[in-house]
Amino acid sequence: MNKTIKHTFTFKQPAKEVWQYLTQADLMAEWLMKTDFKPVVGHKFMFWSRAVPDLNFDGNIYCEVLEIEPLKKLVYSWKSGAMDGKINFESVVTWTLNAKGKGTELVLAHNGFKEHTHDVLYNAMNKGWESNITKIINTLNATA
Amino acid sequence: MLQTQTLDAFQVVADPSRRAMLHLLSKESLSINALAENFDMSRPAVSKHIKILSMAGFITIEDVGRERHCTLKQDGFNELQKWIDYYDTFWHSKLSKLESILNSKLNNKTKKSKNK
Repeated sequence: MNKTIKHTFTFKQPAKEVWQYLTQADLMAEWLMKTDFKPVVGHKFMFWSRAVPDLNFDGNIYCEVLEIEPLKKLVYSWKSGAMDGKINFESVVTWTLNAKGKGTELVLAHNGFKEHTHDVLYNAMNKGWESNITKIINTLNATA
Repeated sequence: MLQTQTLDAFQVVADPSRRAMLHLLSKESLSINALAENFDMSRPAVSKHIKILSMAGFITIEDVGRERHCTLKQDGFNELQKWIDYYDTFWHSKLSKLESILNSKLNNKTKKSKNK
């Protein structure tokens, strides 16, 4: 598995065009999910997707726009609902756009933690549970 | 918080005291009393953390004689892993879709300009 949930894609289109796909609800629905997103800081919105019973995930994602820097950066909170309707996963999604020649590099980062321990945890878990549980906890603890 | 059946595994380990408890338990199983000696907090506060760790599947609590013993359990850690794996795959497939949409738009444009 990856150390962190991070994906980088490069598109031939300029940032303006890629940005539309990140911020216009009708275009977002084409590739991501149905949503009532609006590019306004503080706007609360939802994504609707299929339920994943194995994860106790009802398919509803509750979000709030936290930060917008047009054509460059977009940050929203991402909380998902359990089958009983309660929130059981809180995280933050960050989109960053960088110009690459005439095209655009798009970076997604999805962090499950409110504090800065996520990289350490992913790293530790990556080494496997069986032989490394002590190391896992040590690593986590060292950064606490 | 204690009433909820499922706890957010990420939030559970985000707390430094709970991570410290997992750290101690990674060396050996400990009674709640022995564990509490390591922390400058009230016994009820320690018990609350222990209960949260137990409910989230990071530890099990067993009665040994008159003591309650805490031992690490894999479930909580697996829960973290499951979410990470799910979202990792999720985003990769969504972004691949965006890529194919944008690429096909580009191809259509190229075709149109060639036809002119």
